[in-house]
Amino acid sequence: MEPAQRIAELETALATAERQLIESYPMASLGRLLAGIVHEINTPIGSIVSNNEVSARSLEMVRAKLRESAETGTPPPPKVLDVLDTLVSLSAVDRMACDRILSVIRGLKTHSRLGESDVRAASLPELIVGALKLACSEYKRRVKVETDFAALPDVECYPSQLSQVLLNLIVNAAQAIEGEGVIRLSTRQAGGMAEIEIADTGRGMTPEQQAKVFQQGFTTKPPGLGTGLGLSISHDIVVNQHKGSIEFESEPGKGTVFRIRVPFTQPKP
Amino acid sequence: MSQQPVIVLVDDEEMVITSIRAYLALETEYTVHGFTAPLEAVKFLRGHEVDVVISDFLMPRMNGLELLAAAKDRQPEAARVLLTGHADKQSAIQAINQVGLFQFLEKPWDNAQLLLVINSALERTRLVRDLARKIAELDAAHSTIKEAQRRLIRAFL
Ligand SMILES: Nc1ncnc2c1ncn2[C@@H]1O[C@H](COP(=O)(O)OP(=O)(O)OP(=O)(O)O)[C@@H](O)[C@H]1O
Ligand SMILES: [Mg+2]
Repeated sequence: MEPAQRIAELETALATAERQLIESYPMASLGRLLAGIVHEINTPIGSIVSNNEVSARSLEMVRAKLRESAETGTPPPPKVLDVLDTLVSLSAVDRMACDRILSVIRGLKTHSRLGESDVRAASLPELIVGALKLACSEYKRRVKVETDFAALPDVECYPSQLSQVLLNLIVNAAQAIEGEGVIRLSTRQAGGMAEIEIADTGRGMTPEQQAKVFQQGFTTKPPGLGTGLGLSISHDIVVNQHKGSIEFESEPGKGTVFRIRVPFTQPKP
Repeated sequence: MSQQPVIVLVDDEEMVITSIRAYLALETEYTVHGFTAPLEAVKFLRGHEVDVVISDFLMPRMNGLELLAAAKDRQPEAARVLLTGHADKQSAIQAINQVGLFQFLEKPWDNAQLLLVINSALERTRLVRDLARKIAELDAAHSTIKEAQRRLIRAFL
């Protein structure tokens, strides 16, 4: 085989491998959050299962007492009211538990509609809350999340793609924080665009690191925690797909702020 | 344990405490003290005798292992149980070694199994306390004998 032909072949193979890597990134990044997501769902499910058992048994008991009182013509014992009170409070807990599970599932749905190729008007705060649900089950006990969403019209975008960007920025922020800290998320209108800011009180980046953050494969994290694809993919999604901008400021030891801007409307195809 | 057994339950999720409390109220006469803040539980353990401490693992400010270590420090006889949503073998092994864990339960938990664990934990606590009392009695008896011996010796001197 001619060397030139061989090189061309290798280049095609490399390009294919790279595309596959990038395509598998969203699912892989979700996979790394799975333990936290499972934990986030396990707690409400445990509650619901337990409450269901208690409710079934309590209802049996109430039925027996009411039947007895009907048969003997005596009023039901006051204990029946206590049991009903417990049942009312357990059903309130169940409602809360279901809401918790639903919000995680909603986050997962937005995130996993990856094939979705259509532009759709979406609420940025909703996308942010969904991404937070997926990212923060692991971090919420040590990292405080503050949000400040200014009233903002819906934004035409590829929602699952933007959700991917947000998830990566939130995970990066949480991983930059050792021990306790704060992540502040805000939205506003700026320069005719929709702006999202994600600020953390984490370790920040040195100037050398700052120069490389958007490079494919640049990571300071151990294998398993980071692939170094997050920001290069985010850059592509924001800048190339949405005609927006992504920039940051960072100070070692103080923290980092990432700022994304996207236009409110996308060009019609 | 002359009165009803006392259980301390720590989980940063209020719903877990509500559910387990409702179940134990249905099945037992045990007194349950629930805490969503680990530090509050530690404060409580300082002033009240308890029989079993059950704790979640992932909580803000203080994790389950730290809490159970504090419990061991304050009330060594109370049995310690970890109830965790992380199927994390590593932290389980660490817990068993570090804080002398009685049992390790995973979320979502099974009520019947939870009750079984609580009851055997109570039994263990009772045995440990009995043993401590017997040893104290023996000690007392021993020192009485020693004292009698001393007096006897003195009488002959
Ligand atoms: N908020 C931040 N604070 C400090 N360093 C950051 C922050 N965000 C990114 N970085 C640095 O930039 C590097 C590249 O980030 P990027 O998201 O591209 O990849 P990653 O997070 O390492 O891997 P992955 O996204 O696959 O999990 C990180 O490894 C980290 O060193
Ligand atoms: Mg990343």
